[in-house]
Formats: sequence, structure tokens, C-alpha cells
Amino acid sequence: MMTRRHLLAASLGAPMLLRPGVSRAGSNGSGPIRLRALYQARGRGLSDLARARMGERIDVWGFMAPPLKAQSRFFVLTKMPMAVCPFCESEAEWPNDILAVYTKRIVDVTPFNKKIVTSGVLESGAYTDPETGFVSMMRLMQASFG
Amino acid sequence: MKFVSISVLAMTAATSAFAQDTQLPQASSDWFTAGQDAIQAIIDRQDNTNRAKNVIVLVADGNGVGTNYATRVFAGQQEGKLGEEHVLPYETPQFHSALIKTYNINAQTPDSAPTAGALNTGVKQRFNLINLGENAIHDDCTTEAGNELTTFAEIVSDMGKSVGIVSTARVTHATPAAVYAKTANRNWESEVPAECETSRDIATQLIDAMDAGTIDLVMGGGGRAFLPEGETLGKSTGNRTDGTNLVERAKDMGAQVATDTASFKALADDAPVLALFNNSHMDYEADRADDEEPSLADMTASAIDYLSQNEDGYYLEIEAGRVDHANHGGNARRALIDGVAFADAVSTALQMVDPAETLVIVTADHEHSIAFNGYCGRGSDITGLCYDVAQEGIAHSDDLVLADDGKPYSIIGYLNGPGAVLMEQQDGTFAAPEGRADLSQADATDIDFVQQSLLPKSSESHSGEDVAAYAVGPWAHLVDGTLEQNVLFHVMHHAVTAQ
Repeated sequence: MMTRRHLLAASLGAPMLLRPGVSRAGSNGSGPIRLRALYQARGRGLSDLARARMGERIDVWGFMAPPLKAQSRFFVLTKMPMAVCPFCESEAEWPNDILAVYTKRIVDVTPFNKKIVTSGVLESGAYTDPETGFVSMMRLMQASFG
Repeated sequence: MKFVSISVLAMTAATSAFAQDTQLPQASSDWFTAGQDAIQAIIDRQDNTNRAKNVIVLVADGNGVGTNYATRVFAGQQEGKLGEEHVLPYETPQFHSALIKTYNINAQTPDSAPTAGALNTGVKQRFNLINLGENAIHDDCTTEAGNELTTFAEIVSDMGKSVGIVSTARVTHATPAAVYAKTANRNWESEVPAECETSRDIATQLIDAMDAGTIDLVMGGGGRAFLPEGETLGKSTGNRTDGTNLVERAKDMGAQVATDTASFKALADDAPVLALFNNSHMDYEADRADDEEPSLADMTASAIDYLSQNEDGYYLEIEAGRVDHANHGGNARRALIDGVAFADAVSTALQMVDPAETLVIVTADHEHSIAFNGYCGRGSDITGLCYDVAQEGIAHSDDLVLADDGKPYSIIGYLNGPGAVLMEQQDGTFAAPEGRADLSQADATDIDFVQQSLLPKSSESHSGEDVAAYAVGPWAHLVDGTLEQNVLFHVMHHAVTAQ
């Protein structure tokens, strides 16, 4: 059985190649959006802001969860550092308010608790990642980050 | 006549002491009179030696003495007080209290499974096991047979009482599972290893217990463990690889099922209850939408209403499961908001029961690595930065207390966790080349703020520090001094069997 501990051990074994920070200015000249602003404050619904910006390239700040797969063009952006409790949880406990990110280049993994700004085209609707099986409801496509 | 002599002497001493009190310069101080009132309330407290008809145990997971302190201050500040003076519903003089030693048989730092198991069986247990004796081995299902312990739920079921479980965690998670499950691995919530042919996963054990009549009501999260892989129900999507639909099995047994607030409100009082409001844990109180999930206090009220129908009484375990999870995330504000929700649940329970016949125990399973910085003035926002003590008046000054690096700091910190000041660098080492983050009060009081911590760990850890237990009702006075955690079972057991 693939436990959370094994999963993390595998993912954390990925090379830690950090990139220098990129500009924090938003694509449209405003500052980056906090990830949580894309969701309603309570419950699971998308926010009015997310609906309004759907299909646009936006900048979102959050944190890169430990990747599910090395050498991938996919990672999960979380609003807070993705704390995991390997011994007290049997599988990944993903929060509801996350953003799947599909990047243009292979992901350079950053520490799970380092704030990053990700730029991408906002997209919604259920989608299952073919490599990891990860199901997302909202994504940033053609993304880059720093 | 020795007794009379002593009594006269005591009265003389008391009168003398009272006369002396009134002459003290501090005698007119509110602190002084409040102190006198406090001991009078304790003097007036009568030991209740009735046989308990009902027992309610309320557990805030991860709410040790430190976390509870923070919740007290936070709750008071939410009500507009300075905070420190606030009294939580279970901190009143009517409650007896004790410090509780939480270690497991083989662990100085406990985990939630054996701690809850100790509460439910009367013996300490081994790390990561639930309700197995001391010879059982973690992850070794061959050691289950012959090591199963008898639970308090089974004992009181045999006495004709009903049993209920309420939790904001998954109902298959450690604390609720300890009411009914016996397993060599707390993580076997929906499946057991293939070679463990005689073992049962925890969700199956719950439905078996409902079938056997040892569990009558269950409310919480964790729906995924009750449904076949991919099958959806409310917010839940099944992860059972054996294809079994335990929800349908419960319905076939006559149970009613709720999955959201509307179906929760529609629950009747004439059939067993299986309420699964979330795929995994229920939402943090800070994030909970009222139309999606009921509050812990609402579930508490519903459970007591339901169980009170049994003339022979009931046992109800109520868990605020997510104080622990927010602490693991280093996110104190969410932990404290869930702590206040727990206090509200305690208050609700106290309003609904008669202490003459119902033993209520309020406790925690373990503490976390939470710690508190100083020296902060009165009324400093417990979730924010440390403001200096004012020379005059009561409330804190407007000056931030600075560390030797010239930067302010939050009152709450953790010894380890995701908010570590040391960050992983490109070469894999951990360092803080730019020093600590320079925090503002807005940063520190934000709902998503992760407290700074010393050691880098992706999940903040439990600690072995004591928790408190507070009790009211029959035999509550046995909760006194410094006790091993398993002693609380014996208080409950004595209370329901007292002659």
C-alpha cells in the first residue's frame, strides 16, 4: 500500500532546483491575487472574482505542495504551506481550496513553505490529470512561476 | 470531646481570620473579594455520589493546557474582553479538575489513537493502535486476536444504555474510532492489508457495531470510507477497494443517513443515525458553510436529544477534532476558532443535561508543541503580535516588543512546524539568510497565518505535555490531582456502576 509517508519520501527526493524570484506585478498591472480570493470564504464555491477572471491570465500567490510526481509539468498551489502528518493520515488530505497548475516547462520544485507567484490562464471544470489521477476543479494553464 | 474542641478552635481561627481579612489594605480590592468568592464556591460544592445515568466525554483533540489557555484568551477577546480574565464554560467552580498524563505505553509523545483508547478502555495502549492490549504490535494484524480490549461502549450497552459519537474529524479517525474499533493500525480506516484476512477495517467495525447495537448514533466526517471506490454521496467519494457500500448496509439495518445540514435537520428520533457530512474531516469552523455542515454545538444538541430518549441512559463521546489539525498546520487562529466551537458545544451540553444524573468530562487527548512568547501586555491579541506592558492602566501599550533581531514576534509560536524560520535552500541545507520575516499585526492575525517555529517540519508535532480534565456530575470529584489518562475511564465506570 502506497502510504502518505512513501509518497512524500518519493516526492521530496526530487531535485530542489530553485529559481530566482520573478516580478510580483500582476499580468494586468495589479498585484497578484491571493489564492483564497478565488474561492468563497466559506464552503466550496468559486468566488465572484474567479468567475469574472475565468479564461484570463492571472497572477496568483500561494505555496507549491510537495509534487506528486518528479520531472512533471504539474503541481498543486495551496493557500497555506501544505502541512502533512505522515503518521496520522493514511493518504493525502488535500484542502478544497487549491489550484492545479500546469506549467510550460518542467517544474523546478520549491520548498512547500516558500511563497511563490504563479502566472497562468484560469480554467474551471472537473479534470483528471492523466499521469497522477489528481482531480481538479480549477486550474492555471500554460503557467510559469517564481 | 476532642471533636468539639477542634471545632471551636477552628471557628475561633476562622472568625479571627475574617476579622484580620477586613483589616487588610487589599480587602476592598475586587481581586480580593473575587478570591474569597472563588473559595466559597468551592466550599459550597457538594460531592455527587449518585449513580450516573449518562456519561458525556467531550474531547478537544490537541487541546492541552497551552492550547486551552490560548482558546480562553481568544474567546474572551472575541467577546470584547481583554481576554486573560475570561472563563470557559468548563472552567467554572462547579467543575472538578485534574492534570492528565497522556503518554502511551511506548511513547513519551502520544498519538490520538491510544490516548482515546485509554479513555475508552481504562488501560494505556501502544502508539498507533486502538483498543488492543499491551502485547499487540503496530501494523501486525496477527497480534489483534487475543488482544482485543472491552470498550466502555460495550460495557454500557450491556447495561441497556445507548451510545453516540460526534466528531468534526472523520468518524473513522482515532478519537471516535476508539469508542468502537480494535485495530493494529489506526490508518486501516477503509481497508486492511490483503494478508489480514480476519481483520476488519475501521469503517466496517463501525457498521458492525451499529448492527450489534453498541453504537446508536454517529455524526461527523469521513464518508469516503463507507462507499465503494468512486461512488459519491453528498460531499463524499468512496475509496473502498472491496466494493462494499456500508451506507447501504446501514440503511438496510434501518439506519437513517444525513449528508448535509438539511438532511441533518430532518433526522427523526426513531432510528439509528449515520451522518457523514464530508469526504474526509468536516470543515474547520472558520471555513464552514452553515448550509453544508452543522456546527459541533448543533450536532451535540441533536445527539443529546436523540440519546436522551433511552430511559436507561447513554454514553456520548464528542470530539472537536480539528483543533489538532490546525495546530499541525501551525495555524493557531483556526485552532482557536475550533476551540471556541468546542467551548460552545460544552456549553450546549451543560444546558441540556441534569448534573444530578449526568457525568460530563471535558478533556483533551494530548498537547502540541505550541508555546507562548513574552512579555506581552494585557489584551494583546492572542493571535497577533506581542505588545509591551503599559506602565499605567491595564491594557497593553502601543509599542511592539522586539526580539534581539529588531523585529516583532507573534505571541503564539511552535517549537516545530511548517512556519520554520529556517528554509530549505538550493543545496538542501536549511538556513535563514535574510533572517526572520518582519511581521505586521495584519500578517499575524490573518486567518491563514502560519506561526513562526523553530524546527522545520512539514507537520507540527504533538507534545507529551499534560492536558487538563474537568468534570461535573456524579463522581466528578474523583477527577482530582494529577492522573494517568486511563484513570478517566475508571471515573466513568465507577460513576455508572456506583451502588
